[in-house]
Formats: sequence, structure tokens, C-alpha cells
Amino acid sequence: MKRLLALPILAALIVSACGGTGSGGAQATGGAGTAPAAKAVRIGLVTDVGGLNDKSFNTLANLGRQDAEKDLKVETKVTESKQQADYVPNLTSYAQQGYDLVISVGFLMTNSTWKVAKQFPNVKFAIVDGAPADDAGKTENLPNVANLFFAQQEAGYLVGVIAAEMAKAKVGKATNNTVCSMGGIPIPPVDTFIAGYQHALQTISPTTKILNGYSNDFVDQQKGKEVGLRHIDQGCDILFQVAGGSGLGYIQAAKEKGKYAIGVDADQADVAPGVVITSALKRVNKAVYDSIKAVKENTFKSGDTFFNAANEGIGLGKLDPVVPASAKAAADKALADIKSGAIKPKTDIAVK
Amino acid sequence: MTVDMVIGASVLAATLRLAAPILLAALGGVISERAGVVNIALEGSMLVGAFVGIVAAEQTDSIVIGVAAAIIAGTLLAGIHAIAAIHWRSDQIVSGMALNILALGLTSYLNFQLYGTTGTPADVPDLPTVADQSILVWVSLALVPLTHLFLFGTVSGLRLRAVGEHPRAAETVGIGVRRVRYAAVLASGALAGLGGAYLSLSVAHSFTDGMTAGRGFIGLAAVIFGKWSPIGALVAALLFGYGNALSTSLQGATIGDTRVPVQLLGTLPYLLTILAVAGFVGRSRPPAADGVPYEKEGH
Amino acid sequence: MSGGAPTATGPGPGGPAPSVRQPAMQWATGPAVPVISVIVALLLGAVFVAATGNDPIAAYAALARGAFGTPYDITETLVSAIPLVLTGLSVAVAFRTGLFNIGAEGQLLVGALAAGAVGARFAELPGPLLMPLVILAGILAGAGYGAIAGVLKAARGVNEVITTIMLNYIVVFVMHWLLQSGPMTAPSALGTPASARIGDGAILPVILPNELVPLSRLHAGILLAALAVAVFWFLLWRTSLGYELRAVGLGARAAAQAGIDPARRMALVMAIAGAFAGLAGMIQVSGVFQRVFDGFSSGYGFDAIAVALLGKNSPLGIVAAALLFGAFAHGGAIMQSNAGISSHLVSIIQALVLFVIAAEAIVRGIAGRSRRGRKPVEAIA
Repeated sequence: MKRLLALPILAALIVSACGGTGSGGAQATGGAGTAPAAKAVRIGLVTDVGGLNDKSFNTLANLGRQDAEKDLKVETKVTESKQQADYVPNLTSYAQQGYDLVISVGFLMTNSTWKVAKQFPNVKFAIVDGAPADDAGKTENLPNVANLFFAQQEAGYLVGVIAAEMAKAKVGKATNNTVCSMGGIPIPPVDTFIAGYQHALQTISPTTKILNGYSNDFVDQQKGKEVGLRHIDQGCDILFQVAGGSGLGYIQAAKEKGKYAIGVDADQADVAPGVVITSALKRVNKAVYDSIKAVKENTFKSGDTFFNAANEGIGLGKLDPVVPASAKAAADKALADIKSGAIKPKTDIAVK
Repeated sequence: MTVDMVIGASVLAATLRLAAPILLAALGGVISERAGVVNIALEGSMLVGAFVGIVAAEQTDSIVIGVAAAIIAGTLLAGIHAIAAIHWRSDQIVSGMALNILALGLTSYLNFQLYGTTGTPADVPDLPTVADQSILVWVSLALVPLTHLFLFGTVSGLRLRAVGEHPRAAETVGIGVRRVRYAAVLASGALAGLGGAYLSLSVAHSFTDGMTAGRGFIGLAAVIFGKWSPIGALVAALLFGYGNALSTSLQGATIGDTRVPVQLLGTLPYLLTILAVAGFVGRSRPPAADGVPYEKEGH
Repeated sequence: MSGGAPTATGPGPGGPAPSVRQPAMQWATGPAVPVISVIVALLLGAVFVAATGNDPIAAYAALARGAFGTPYDITETLVSAIPLVLTGLSVAVAFRTGLFNIGAEGQLLVGALAAGAVGARFAELPGPLLMPLVILAGILAGAGYGAIAGVLKAARGVNEVITTIMLNYIVVFVMHWLLQSGPMTAPSALGTPASARIGDGAILPVILPNELVPLSRLHAGILLAALAVAVFWFLLWRTSLGYELRAVGLGARAAAQAGIDPARRMALVMAIAGAFAGLAGMIQVSGVFQRVFDGFSSGYGFDAIAVALLGKNSPLGIVAAALLFGAFAHGGAIMQSNAGISSHLVSIIQALVLFVIAAEAIVRGIAGRSRRGRKPVEAIA
């Protein structure tokens, strides 16, 4: 008897809850206080399993979303994916609700985006760091999907120029002519950064010793720091990280041992001022912002869009005062040469 | 592969650094389980310790307050587990798992609220180092003989062990079983919180979501590996730390002409642990009343 | 650890030790406590949501709509629950025998890798041949991996808690290697570490026609899961082996008196546990992903521990607990997108549910079912 009482309560709770959605849930949950215009453009962003606070591309993508919401008066929502099996339902959820643009953040979602975009030909999609891939793993461009690619090797090349100039001229604490990098795991979106970096080093300062390592992790700071300390033991005095949260540990190793570090994705100068001499910027926020703007202005373009040096999709972060003017000049020249096509940074790692 | 990659000074130093947080969690686990309470929430205590330690140190600009706050935070989380496990006789594993999820959700949530996407400010005060190791590494090592002496050389330690082995008998000789268990669980949380402080304040100088990355669970494994003794836990933590140090130092090593895949090097600490347990440690017996809720007669 | 020795009370919930002859449907005899627990936890969660400046009604409305709002959402909740049912069975069968299997996660991954490898290697085979092979690969790989812990325990006395934790990590790194730059790495444009696609014959079909539930991903894995639940029940309560296993779970001494060798049974039971988890991995590959993605599991094997314990290691209880977790997994995403609730708050609410259910004593107190017999249920009704 007593038991039976509980079930109606639960049922009532659920029913009343559902009723709530039916009546006003659809629009009551609009973006931060902005009253939706007559026919507001609606944008849904789905992160990969890294989550919003990955301080890397999810964070930056979300930044682009927030900027767009402020500037462009569009209505935006975000969903963090907790597991890979959630990509399809999370994307589907926005598409089903008739959102104008659904953005998948990250190369992990190439196949999921293909699946959902095929089902919803009238909804536009954008995918950061990838193109829709069919079930066989083959890229298939879809008329309703924009593929946002980044020339990571160009960003890597630019910071590589700074590192090479400083190692060659033995600037400040960079006295050992040894320069290092650490990735999270050896996969293309990580390794292309490092490939460009090493290409610049080998071109500009062939005598510089190059080391590379991996933390096997994107979260664990201690693992990243241990790789950093090991590299410093082996003489490194400039350390470039491409390893998300784990990479913060790599920067910390440089800070603790009085060396230099180079950040990635976002401008990480604030992580350790005086230690982080510059960052390899990958402006995911710009890509997301531009895509939203294109949808709003009816200039959406499907297929590949490359974000590179030429369109400021990648770039060089704030330079620390220790970086000499000559190094900055060299980086500026490299930037111009990359834009003009005179320099084509490599995408394959030289020193593994 | 060179000798330096396997037993060089830098590898041994790395071993100590990597062992310290696991050792602190494991010592907590030893105390708690010796009193008869399984505390899977050590991971959660570490994580809240890591977070609160950073926030307190950053707000007050005092490293002492930071470490103290981390210990208190770890203790508080363990306190919830103690109430659940001892007072409500909850399933200790579910309660511990729930608190781990809670700790991860709560710290990630607050981290985002407090620091947004920019992360912890860079000007968190430093912990002193002694002989090129964080002071907390030495503290963790010093706690090994201290815990050993406490457990096996004091009346309180004897009582604690009695509560974990024969709570009924302990009660009949006038030991407050619940009181001892509360104290033990709180102590385990304090130690785990200190381990968290080490990770955030000494290793990383910042907090990132989920940064303890399973060290609390490895600590639990070290408890069993070490047969519920502080010295055994030290051996287990050192072995594990050594395996982890190797997985870094052996990067780039080759066998013949073949380069060892960097991903496979990651298995080293875990393989070493299994081999050591299977080869040398073997059977281990937990305290008889470990994990068993205690109920007074007549209730 | 409670799993340290096959003690009667180690794995079980705080209550009295279960009897060997106790009915399988134990949970079904007392759903009031878990149901009230969920309500209490949701109320606590509501306080939390409100404290963070969000609207609890809108939050729960979104959660409920997300999990059960449309037939499609219900199928998604089921898709999320399937691997949890199977890994839950894996953990439970070990618990029933007095062993703590923290290794369901690793066993699941090994099962997925084996299924993915076989499904891709023999992609040309027709379904009637390939599907049984893939299922067998998943089950056997999981069983073999689980058996390592069991054999080490039987032969060397190594505590299975250590072994299974370590084996979880080992397979994660091996998986990184296999899928990032190893023999299983797919030469494809996916841009992400993954294996090659499995053959069409290895894919578990979607069981609801698209006309009925558009977009549904609900695949035939749910039938395998249902079958596994039945096997679990039959094995434990309708076979002499099951009787022996449960006897071992109640205490090595009792088992020895009944003429059972606990050591040999331990190896066997860990293999059975691994088989359930390996099947879970196979189902995720064949039913959801059609290939193995690196890091595809977000910890099904860990959630499974909670699922098994919440479900009191009983078949129906495990199904109910897995559905609850599945509802949180799918509904939680909608809660974030539609009500703007941080995904971390969703985790916190989930933790509260778990915690309150674990702390049965509170709810029993409320429900007047405590052995101390305090307040009657009318107090909250």
C-alpha cells in the first residue's frame, strides 16, 4: 500500500514536468535574457567529450558562439557530449528542433555529423577540424555541411621561427641550442602543429637539437610535467606543448626550471607570464563566429573552408618582451611568405 | 636504450614525484580500512583538496592556508562518506562512488564559475622545495613511519585495528567503534586532501577539471598491494611511480631497430604492478571487518 | 577493500547477508525504497539547481522530456542503457560470488577490440556467418581478459581489485596504440583514431522501422542484452553451478563445507563476468559505432558498479538501474541544451541520486521500514 503511493508521485512529477515543456519550454529557455526577434536565427553547438572547459578548441568554439550571440543577435545553445555514443543524439536533438545551424566541434564527430546531416538536408551544419565522413570512413562533402579546416602546421611554423631564432642567437635563458615539443597523443591534429614547428627549426637553425615526446594524455598535468622535466634534463630550453590540460604541466616544468614555453590553440601568455614566450594560435572562435555570421547573412558555403595564415585563421600569439625584435621580424616575414605561398610548412613530423 | 633511461638520477627523482600523491592516498586508505571502512571516495577527497587548495592559496596569497584548506576540504568530503557508511550503514562502495562523481561535478562547476575559461591565475604562491623535491614529497615519506608507529605502536592504533578486525569484541572492552571509525575515515580524507594539494599546488600550480586522473584508485590498489600496511603502501607507490617514470624516460627507446610505440610505454606502471603482485606479494588478507557496517547489539 | 576476501557482506548492500535461496527478483519485492530515494534525491537536486540560480522545474522538465519525451528519446535512453545492463551483469555476477570486478571497463574494451578486429577482417562474410563470429569474439575476449584476474587470484592469491584496476589501464594504452598507429588503425579520412569499418554482416540491425520511430538507433543489441539478463538469472538461480557460485559468495568456509573449491570457481566466475562485459563492448561496436573508436567508452564499466549495487545484483534491479542511468545520460544532454543547466550540475544531481539510494537507511527511516521503525510513510506522502 505504502509502496503504491510512491509511484503516482513520481508519475505526477514527470507528467507535470513534461507539461512544463509543452506550454512554454521551447522558447522560455532562450539565450541569456535576449528576447528572440521575430524569427531569430538559432544555433546549436555540440562539443566533443573534452567538454567546454578544455581550454582548447571546445573552449574557443564556445567563445565564438558567445561572441556571435552578443554581436549578431542570434539565439545559441550548447551541449557538452559526455560520451562518443552521444554525438549522434546531441546533433540530432538540435536538428530535430529545426535549428538553423548545428556546429560539431572536433574531428571526433566527422562520421556522426555525416549521419545526422544526411537525415536533415534542410539544416545547415559546420564541423570544426574535419569533413563529413561516411560509414566507410570516406569523406563525402554534403551540400548542407561546411568543413572548417585549420592549417595547424602554419601556426606551428610561426612559433618554430621564434624558437629557432632564439635558440640560434642564444637569447636569454635559451643557451643550450636545444628545442622541444610535446603532443598529447600522436594523431594528425596534434602532429601537424609539431611538424610545422620542426620544419621551421630545421630550416632556420639546422644545428639546433630537436626533441619530441608525448604525455599519452590530455588531462593529467603531472604526466605532461614529467615529460617537460625530462626534456629539460636533456638540455631543452624552449618547450612547445600541444596537449591540452596535460600541456599545462609541460609549461609548468619550464616555469619551475626557468626555461621558456610556447602555448597552443588559445593565447596562453597569461598561464605563465615571462615563461610563455608566444602561442601557436588556432582561432576556432573565429571559424565558429564566421560560420554563424554566414548563416545569419545567407552566405553559408558548404564544403571545405581553410582557416590559415592568409585569412587570420591561425596566427602568432602575444610575444613576451624577451623575444628579440629580430625574431619578431623573422616571424613576420615567415607569415608573409606563408600567405604568399613561398613557404609551405610540412605536415609530417621529422623528429618523432 | 641507455642505463640512464632506466635507473638514472632523474628517473629516481621522477619516481618520488610520481609516487607521492599515490602514497598519500594509500596511507589514507590504510588507516580507513584498518578501522573497517572502505573509502573509495579518496579520489574525490583528492580532487576537492586540489581545487580548494588552489582557491584558498590564490585568494589569501598564503601557501599554508592553501594546504590547510585542501586538507579540510578532503576531510569534509570524507566526513560525508563517514556519516553514510557508519551512521546510515550505506553501501560503502556506492556512497564512495557517488561522492567521487559529486566531487568531479562540483569542482568542475565551481572552477568554471570562479575562473571561467581562462583558468587559475598564474600568481599562486609556491611550496618550498627541499633537495629539489617539493616539501610535500618529504612529508609524504615521513608519514610512512609515523603512520606505522601510530598503527602498531600506540594504544590508539591498537584500538583502531581492533575495530577493523573484531568490532564486537572492541565494543565489549569499551572502545567506541563508531567514534574510532569516524576518526579513521576523516583522517583518510585529510591525507587524500593533502595529496590533492600536492598535485595542484606543487606539481601543476593550477587546477584543471579531473586533474587527479584516477590516482585515488591507484592508491586503493596500493593499499591492497601493501597488505594494508604503511610500509607496504610505500613500496607499492614507489613501484608505481617508477613505472610511470619509465614510461616517460624510455620514450624514443628502440628494441633492435624497432621503436617502442609511445602508447605501449604507458602500460608500464600497470604491468609492473601486476607482475610484482603476482610474483612477490601474492595473497593478502584484509582486516576481517573491512567494509562491514557495524551495528550495536540490541538495535 | 570489500572485495579483499570472499566475505559475505563485502559486496552486498548494508543490509543482512542474502540467503543462498533468496529469490532472484529481490528488488521487485521492495521498489518503494529506491523510488522514494530517487524522489528525495531529485528534491535535493532541485535545491541545488535553485541555489545556482537556475529554474529547477524547467531543469527537470527538460530532463524528463529529454529522456522520455518522444518515442525517439525513449529509444535513445534504451540505447544508452544497453551497455550498462551488460556491464552491470558483469559486476553483479562477480559480487554474487564475493568478488569485486572493477574491471568491467577493460573487459568491455577488449571485447570491442576483438569484435571490431574480427568484424573488419572478415567483412566479406555473410551475416549469418559473420555475426556469430563477432559475438563470439567479443564474448571470448572479454572472458579471457576477465579470467586473467580470476586465475591470478586462484593461483597466486592476487586480489582481483588490484588486477582489474591495472588491466583497465593496460587495455586503454594498448587501444591507443592499436587505433592511433598500430595494426588496427584505419587508413581513412575519419581524421580520428579508429579501426576500419566492420562488414555489413557484423552490424546489429535497427529493430524499429523508420516509419514508426524516425531516426531511431535502437538496435538488436537490446535483444542480446535481454537474453543476457535471462542467462544471468538462469545461471545463478537455476543451475547447480549458480548455487555453488552464490555459496562461494556467502563465504569460502560455507562453500568448502559444501564441497566446493572456491579457487577454481573464482577463475570461472571472472571469465563469466568478462564475457558479459565483452558482449557489451561487441554490442557498442556492432550496434552503435560500426567500428572501434579510440576512447569510445566513457566509463560504462565504472557506472556498472553503481548499476549493479543499486540493482542489488538482481536481474530486474540491474535493468531498472541501467535505465535510470540511461535516462540521465540522454536526458542530461537535453537538460543542458534546453534549460541551460551546466553538464556538471547534471553530474551532481546524478551523484545525489546515487548517494541517497546508497543511504537507504535515511529513506527506510522516512518510509517506516527501518528495523528501528521510526516514521510511517504517510509522513511524506
